[in-house]
Amino acid sequence: MEEWVLNTIIRGLALGTPLLWAALGEVYAERSGVVNLGVEGMMILGAFSAFALAQTTGNPLLGLLLAAGAGAAGALLHAFVTITLRANQYVSGLALTMLGLGLSALLGRRWEGLPLLETLPEVSAFTYLSLLLAVALWFVLYHTRWGMVVRSAGEAPAAVDTLGVNVALVRYLAVVFGGAMAGVGGGFLSVAYRPSWTEGMTNGLGWIAIAIAIFASWDPLRAVAGAFLFGALFHLSFRLQTWVAPEPLQMMPFAFTILVLAATARRGGRARGAPEALGVPYVRGER
Amino acid sequence: MRWMRTVALVALILLFAVAGPGLAQAKLKVGFIYVGPIGDYGWTHAHDQARRIAERTLPIETLYVESVPEAQVEPFIEKLIQQGARVVFTTSFGFMDGTLAMAKRYPNIIFGHASGFKRNRNMFTYMADFYQIYYLNGLMAGALTKSGKVGYVAAFPIPEVKRHLGAFALGIRAVNPGATVHVRWLFSWFDPAKAKEATEALIAEGADVFAFTEDSPTVIQVAAKKGLPSFSHYSPMQRFAPQHVISGQLVHWEAIYIDFLRKVLAGKYTADNLQNVDYWWLLAEKAVELGGEFGVPINPVWAPKLQAVKVSTQEFGTVSVHDLVMRRLAQMSKKPVAFDPFTGPIRDRKGVLRVPAGKTMTVLELTTMEWAAPGIVGPWPKEP
Repeated sequence: MEEWVLNTIIRGLALGTPLLWAALGEVYAERSGVVNLGVEGMMILGAFSAFALAQTTGNPLLGLLLAAGAGAAGALLHAFVTITLRANQYVSGLALTMLGLGLSALLGRRWEGLPLLETLPEVSAFTYLSLLLAVALWFVLYHTRWGMVVRSAGEAPAAVDTLGVNVALVRYLAVVFGGAMAGVGGGFLSVAYRPSWTEGMTNGLGWIAIAIAIFASWDPLRAVAGAFLFGALFHLSFRLQTWVAPEPLQMMPFAFTILVLAATARRGGRARGAPEALGVPYVRGER
Repeated sequence: MRWMRTVALVALILLFAVAGPGLAQAKLKVGFIYVGPIGDYGWTHAHDQARRIAERTLPIETLYVESVPEAQVEPFIEKLIQQGARVVFTTSFGFMDGTLAMAKRYPNIIFGHASGFKRNRNMFTYMADFYQIYYLNGLMAGALTKSGKVGYVAAFPIPEVKRHLGAFALGIRAVNPGATVHVRWLFSWFDPAKAKEATEALIAEGADVFAFTEDSPTVIQVAAKKGLPSFSHYSPMQRFAPQHVISGQLVHWEAIYIDFLRKVLAGKYTADNLQNVDYWWLLAEKAVELGGEFGVPINPVWAPKLQAVKVSTQEFGTVSVHDLVMRRLAQMSKKPVAFDPFTGPIRDRKGVLRVPAGKTMTVLELTTMEWAAPGIVGPWPKEP
């Protein structure tokens, strides 16, 4: 029993960490009013660049740093298209996902199958740092002026605009920050979770991160719960195959995580509901 | 000046004489539909390598589409045909019904479907099957497991995977009658995260040797990190963990593609006579190979350990597992095949007699196999 609990917690932390980083990033982007469906693409760009640099330099942390840059670069593209050009956010995000998958596959061919000599442990100080980061991001979002500005940009951009806040700048920063977070999440996959590069290796985890951000009602702390719960249940869905039919077990981590997050959502109040201006490009003077 | 013009003219004529036939005769266009990305380092990667070799060897031109969802194969086939493909290969079991439907809609196009069992006058089936190699891997796994538990990370509960698991289990039990194979199903051909967690689950349950069906080296890497050995799958994966990969299965799809396309080019196979054409190619046809790296049947790191384990057999007396593997390999590598893993009497794990004494399973029985061999532990969807 003890082995079960311990092992499940460790597995939950291991898979939950990359999901958490990506989900936290999406929380910030969406809080500022910009949907970014390019998480999968930014994660895979992060996974590839982290692996490539870690492989070359032998330093996985350096790899993660580059992953943040790669994710941010992808996000910057999305920000430019959706904030400056005011294009459809959903379409741009999907395009970013495809771009990331395609670009990483193209660049990644020669890295395929190379070993990584120096890897990051799956559960390490980095995991606890991630938890601290989530708490810090929650604090910033709800208890600082910066957080209020980000939330306001997503709720009532016209109102903060009249107060002299540069809505476009706030959104740019939030989206690019979200991209950097997704990049690190992806990088964690290729230098820690499964130290290797394989084309398409994120295989849908980016979408799970988006789902976690949404079902966590855009709350960083609830995203922590969602990410680690999903990680643990995902592992259990294989552990339990001895006793439970594998077909329904496949759905279990998804269904259960959504159920828990939905059931614990606060009724009314700030934690519920999407940001008012989510997905709407802001144009000054329009209502 | 005139002589220069003459030389130029002669050169031009010569050029046309050489290049002319190639230009005049449009190359046969061959399309490939893949279920995964070509960089998956597994099933799709192997098909794509074969496509390249075939294109280099034969006067053909190839097209391909990767990562095609199994339920949506028809529009992709349609697209390849519009691009001029006269032969279309669909390379996943799940493409079977979609390919058959398209074969009926396009009676003049030649179709090839890998790993299935439905054919048409313009649709043949082909498979480079590993069951013999899985048996050999099983012999080695049985010799090397200390806990008596071998882990298997499996893609889908379909006959192909069940057959391979069955042969693997029979091999394990042939040298280690008390050992078991523990199965975890992924319901995916490519999913590194699932493969990772399934392996972690098996490790937690005490498995200490691993084999798998999933198109990434994840299982090998996860096992190696814990110092546990495994068998490579599909592509040469020994390089991912040179100290921990014992052996594995390798494929040469090009053997089938080249043989078939040669016969198409020669006019022997047309869109009218494929109803009974089924390439069921094994070791003897050189469509598959034992090993985790081409030309290396058993990793030299593991050879001494396998030589140290002795078993007594009826056929060869007391031999090391290493020698048993090499002898069985030799028996299955030339025609007529002198040994088949599925030779009766074989009872399934429930005790039902599946292969009577003295009989071997037919290709049809192998391709529709649903029962679980003894020693397999874990869920078995559609178990008869």
